[in-house]
Amino acid sequence: MWSSCRLLLAFLVGMTGAEAKPSRVVSLNLCADQFVLALADRARIAALSPLAADPSLSAAAEAARGLPTARPVLEEILPLRPDLAIAGAWGGARVVAALEARGVRVVRLGLAGDFDDIIAQTRAVAEAVGEVARGEALVAAMEARLATVRRGERHRRVLIWEARGFTAGEATLADWVLRAAGLRNAAPFAGYGTVPLERLLAVPPDLLVTLSASAAPSLSEALLDHPALARIPRLALPAAWLACGGPETLRAVEVLAAQ
Amino acid sequence: MILSLAAGTLALALALLSLAVGAAGFGFVIDPLILWQVRAPRTVLAALVGAALALSGAVLQGLLRNRLADPGLLGVTGGASLGAVLAFYWGLATAFPLALPFGGLVGALVAAAAVLAVAAHAGTGAALILAGIGVAAITSALVTMALSFAPNPFALAEITIWLLGSLADRSWHEVWLASPAVVAGLLLLLSLGERLDALALGEETAASLGVAIGPTMARAALGSALAVGGAAAVAGGVGFVGLIVPNLLRGRVGERPSALLLPSALAGSSLVLAADLAVRLVPLQQELRLGVLTALLGAPVLLAVALREARVG
Repeated sequence: MWSSCRLLLAFLVGMTGAEAKPSRVVSLNLCADQFVLALADRARIAALSPLAADPSLSAAAEAARGLPTARPVLEEILPLRPDLAIAGAWGGARVVAALEARGVRVVRLGLAGDFDDIIAQTRAVAEAVGEVARGEALVAAMEARLATVRRGERHRRVLIWEARGFTAGEATLADWVLRAAGLRNAAPFAGYGTVPLERLLAVPPDLLVTLSASAAPSLSEALLDHPALARIPRLALPAAWLACGGPETLRAVEVLAAQ
Repeated sequence: MILSLAAGTLALALALLSLAVGAAGFGFVIDPLILWQVRAPRTVLAALVGAALALSGAVLQGLLRNRLADPGLLGVTGGASLGAVLAFYWGLATAFPLALPFGGLVGALVAAAAVLAVAAHAGTGAALILAGIGVAAITSALVTMALSFAPNPFALAEITIWLLGSLADRSWHEVWLASPAVVAGLLLLLSLGERLDALALGEETAASLGVAIGPTMARAALGSALAVGGAAAVAGGVGFVGLIVPNLLRGRVGERPSALLLPSALAGSSLVLAADLAVRLVPLQQELRLGVLTALLGAPVLLAVALREARVG
């Protein structure tokens, strides 16, 4: 019912003409970049966030190549004369306030914690950029992808371990990804926290998923290669796949479900 | 001798305790993997780092006839951290693992040479300490800058490790990398006892005894650079150990520099082992840095020494 309303709305928007579509869209945040790239015409994107084309953090780096970027500071955003800004939950507060004071529409995306959030954000951005039909098509495609994932029995305990032992517990996007892939999150807490090396070794998970953000060395990420971890089965995923809830998050679900 | 025995026994007891304390639980009845792959290398490194810093402090104090000399205060530790940071974050150490201790050694050597050149030129005393503070300030600024420009996004958060020191989650790999340089440096420094005793009588008397100041300074600089460079390359800049330990022991062994060397090395191991135990016991998400504890212990000693010198002088 809801989606048919949306389609009707899309049809009506289509009738009123393309005039309504913003033509200078700026994205102020890495996660917003993914939605803008998936839903808006390239010609209408005035700027993406500076991280958009960084393959170590951005799941849509390929698509972002060649598009302009701007840091979320007034001096860089205002000269672009945006008519729509997509922002994250917290960052760029001064830019957002200044744009709103000038009557520019700003859409704030919260932190996506599960698939429902991803769908809601897809629809919110699609509506804002005037591409409701494209948004519905993307939602349908994501639902179809998720439906074909073969889920396991949920008894394999998986720990997602990032630099410095940072771990996503219950009620996080990574936790949803594990559940969607039919796996069990081995993190002993809800939200985000760290699991020290010793504690990990004391109760080793069935699979250790490491997320590495950079090929350049750091002590924080050297922890992920500690020799004592050698006997634990592991899978390295690009950190970009789980950095933001978006269309690319499903790639992580598919790869994990295949384990 | 008795003091060395006591300090050695204390270090051994603390090392055993260090094997029994950690996030996975207390005692030795834990997974042998945790005991041998996580706690053991950390314990060995704590002992090596402590010995390197304290012995280097004892030798520098004897050589410069200044109780405030310390590899940290004189910028040697900072130079070592800088060299290690440059080697590590720009991938040199990934391509060629020995680049890490080598970077620490070169950084420490440059800083030690700079400070000792000032000492040779300006004599000991205030000028030396000022030069050391200058070198230390430059190296800590350069470490911060190097990490700010490092290509890894986590590097910036690791400034505290390099400025304050940490032994969290080190492996045998780091022990193999650091120990050759540290052990070579310790042996070289321990061999300087007689020369330091002669120098304590003044440079001219020392020269009449056949001890030249130049070669002695060069050996002390090389020994300190090897020991501190190797230590800082894997543990960062743990401060104040070289200052506290010889000053605490001096009251018991007297003013003869050679009598201070071995007890200082062993007591330095004990101090860093104890500090590293303490950081593991403080319940924080991220461990407290080693240098925080050694500074908390060391700064009051620095103040006490400064007050005593003021009263005597």
